Amino acid sequence: MRIAAILTAIVIAGTAIAAVAAPPAQQAIIDQFAAAAKKADPGFSGFSPDAGKTFFFAEQTGGTGEASNCYACHGKDPKKAGETRAGQTIDPIAVSVNPKRFTDMAMVEKWFGRNCDTVLGRECTVVEKGNFLTFMSAQ
Amino acid sequence: MEHQTIPLAAQGSGTSLQRVRVWDRFVRAFHWSLVGAMAVAFATSLLLPKEWALIHVIDGTACVALVAARLVWGWLGPEYARFAAFVRGPAAVIAHLRDIAAGRVHRHRGHNPLGAAMIVALLAGVVVLGVTGTATLGGTLKSGPLAFALSFATGSAAREVHELVAYAVLGLIAAHVAGAIFESRRTRENLALSMVTGLKEARSGDEVPAAVPAHAVLAAILSVTLFAASGFAVATLMKRPALGAPVGALDASYKKECGDCHIAYHPSLLPSAQWTALMDGLARHFGENATLPAATAAPIRSYLTANAAETFDTLAANAFRRVSATDPLRITAAPFWQRTHDEISDAVFKAKPVKSKGNCAACHSDAATGMFRPWNIDIPEVVK
Repeated sequence: MRIAAILTAIVIAGTAIAAVAAPPAQQAIIDQFAAAAKKADPGFSGFSPDAGKTFFFAEQTGGTGEASNCYACHGKDPKKAGETRAGQTIDPIAVSVNPKRFTDMAMVEKWFGRNCDTVLGRECTVVEKGNFLTFMSAQ
Repeated sequence: MEHQTIPLAAQGSGTSLQRVRVWDRFVRAFHWSLVGAMAVAFATSLLLPKEWALIHVIDGTACVALVAARLVWGWLGPEYARFAAFVRGPAAVIAHLRDIAAGRVHRHRGHNPLGAAMIVALLAGVVVLGVTGTATLGGTLKSGPLAFALSFATGSAAREVHELVAYAVLGLIAAHVAGAIFESRRTRENLALSMVTGLKEARSGDEVPAAVPAHAVLAAILSVTLFAASGFAVATLMKRPALGAPVGALDASYKKECGDCHIAYHPSLLPSAQWTALMDGLARHFGENATLPAATAAPIRSYLTANAAETFDTLAANAFRRVSATDPLRITAAPFWQRTHDEISDAVFKAKPVKSKGNCAACHSDAATGMFRPWNIDIPEVVK
């Protein structure tokens, strides 16, 4: 009885971790953001995939460009390809279908740098980036 | 030959007269082949869109080949086909016109002097069209045997001559048809039908050239040799690099960095000053922030300005040196772009697979080379 309960707990915990934790390459990037977040705010307790999801679908104001949300180009389904305003295909951003996503910090920063200015008119915070990556890594 | 003239009424009573072979098989085949080929040439230039340009070029080459074979036959063929037998000086042409004016029929069983002059003019017209067409192709589209030698400016001048001569030839064709109808009525014989059957009536008093044997085998050997040599010469010349045309692929870093969002436009589509301004303003790039790290941006900037519109002599490079006064960085706002795309509906640009006016490669399969040749245009069906 006790053993069964412990085993069940381990299985549930394992499943939960597997569901939340990103693949190693993406996790390395998320860890860097987490370290930066902790440095800025000692009370930082971890990224939230739900907040990332809300951010992805949020209508933004103050952007310098023509898009006012993420899905205008990336599409509402992260597992499917998006399309730029000029008609070029954007590879899916969900890590499950596109494992190369979020594996190169320079690339991640280049696109957050561009797109946060275009859509929000400012740089994204470390927490926003971490939430976004945590959400997409679980997709 | 006795030059007797017979009153019209006494001639052409028709049925009882013997018909003789005047136009040989080659002359007839040549005549109607050239009619067909010239019809295609005019249709593919005046009526059909520019996507037909390659058919026009191939067809024009066929016209010149036909004329070349006719010239050989005019030297080696039978008497009715020989230039020496029917091409006459201005005096004979004037004498023929006097006959017409006076209502006399001094009948030539072959070509009359006026008809002969028309033949010379039409053959010369086709040759001039072939030469100016090849020069246009070489200079403006950087294709064909003269691409290595001719500038865009020379090609453009050749194009103007080509167009003028084409209209002149069209006028000559109209006069030729009118002349054939007039002469058919005047001499009471269907000349167009004769060009099909090869037969004409043998009338008393006809002017008939002295019989000459045709050298058909020699003519065929000469023609084939001529075609082979020309084909070899054209193929050899076409191996040379085209004057002022870009070579090689797009810069890999440029293609990767800029091609993520839109097609990597060939650098010859904007002047150097506009590329500089564009690279200075990447943070506000057509409705998006497209900033690049300095280390990535610098070589791309060098590549673009070193390969800008001023550095090439293609049609596109020449055309896009003129930028829009109000939106100078936008290639699709340039006067040339506006003029050449105004008949394409917005639906084509908005729907898949085009999606945007800036998606050149959706219709121009050679967009990445900067050549934009008309035969590489394929406007897709609108997908809803």
